Amino acid sequence: MDKKWALVVLLVVISPLFGVYLAALVGYHEPLDVAAEKLGLHDLTEKTNWTPFLDYTVPGLPDWLGYIVSGFMGVAIVAALGYALARYMGGGDSATGKVP
Amino acid sequence: MHIPDGFLDPLVCGATYAFIIPYTLYAFSKAKEIPREKRSLIPVLAAAVFAAQMLNWPIPGGTSLHFVGGALSGILLGPWGGYLVMFLVLLVQCLVFHDGGITTLGANLLNMAVIDVLVGYAVYKAAPPRHKTLAAFLGAWLGITLAGIAAGIELGVSAYTPYGLQITLPVMGGWHAALGVVEGAITALAYRYLEYRAPYLLGAQQARLG
Repeated sequence: MDKKWALVVLLVVISPLFGVYLAALVGYHEPLDVAAEKLGLHDLTEKTNWTPFLDYTVPGLPDWLGYIVSGFMGVAIVAALGYALARYMGGGDSATGKVP
Repeated sequence: MHIPDGFLDPLVCGATYAFIIPYTLYAFSKAKEIPREKRSLIPVLAAAVFAAQMLNWPIPGGTSLHFVGGALSGILLGPWGGYLVMFLVLLVQCLVFHDGGITTLGANLLNMAVIDVLVGYAVYKAAPPRHKTLAAFLGAWLGITLAGIAAGIELGVSAYTPYGLQITLPVMGGWHAALGVVEGAITALAYRYLEYRAPYLLGAQQARLG
């Protein structure tokens, strides 16, 4: 496998350690959350949600596995759109992902 | 830094969308000017930024962060290519995982795909050739700090309180200035690695900039 893609796969595989385990252990709290709490703003994400994959979970799977599956799903979609964009820019090597 | 639905009022949501729609269309029109040798970077960079953003770093007793990647995208692909990479990432995060709201997508794109990308690119471009790695660090740090401040302004003016900005600017600006050091370090390391392993990706950009 190309080293660039191997790195992406590695990031996704280890991501639950940071995105699920450590987040639950320490409590994930972005500066945005701190500011919103001080202002009394309300997050409407759950009330307006449209996706079964909310917060990188997959229904029926444990959080860590759902996080990995979500990661590969997201990477695949983003990469597919990226290839489509490269093709839109004008064929050539970009469309095949090969670098001269 | 992904602002969820509910945090911004309709006026701020509308204003940011009014800016970002023509900006996105213009970015697509400029995309064809990106050098051919760099186009292959778009899918893998977008995928890598998406994956890297899943690695949250909770800091005990404080706050948390994750890599954003806007400055790195700007440095590698320029302002328009960098924008489109971040656009793809933020669009998929929003639509598929509801990470960042749909009403706030314009604001999130403005912060992470416009400001972060442009600042990172501008600092990198302004630096002399021998200081490009330092510029990658400083550009990423300043990019994330200004993106945080922009998010703070958007939150502050949406708060329906005259004290909104007095609360949000110090929190968002201060924390992101501190956490941005990590963004800068990762960006500089990635830049250094590419400079060593794939200098053609940086060389074309430098040649174009020079």
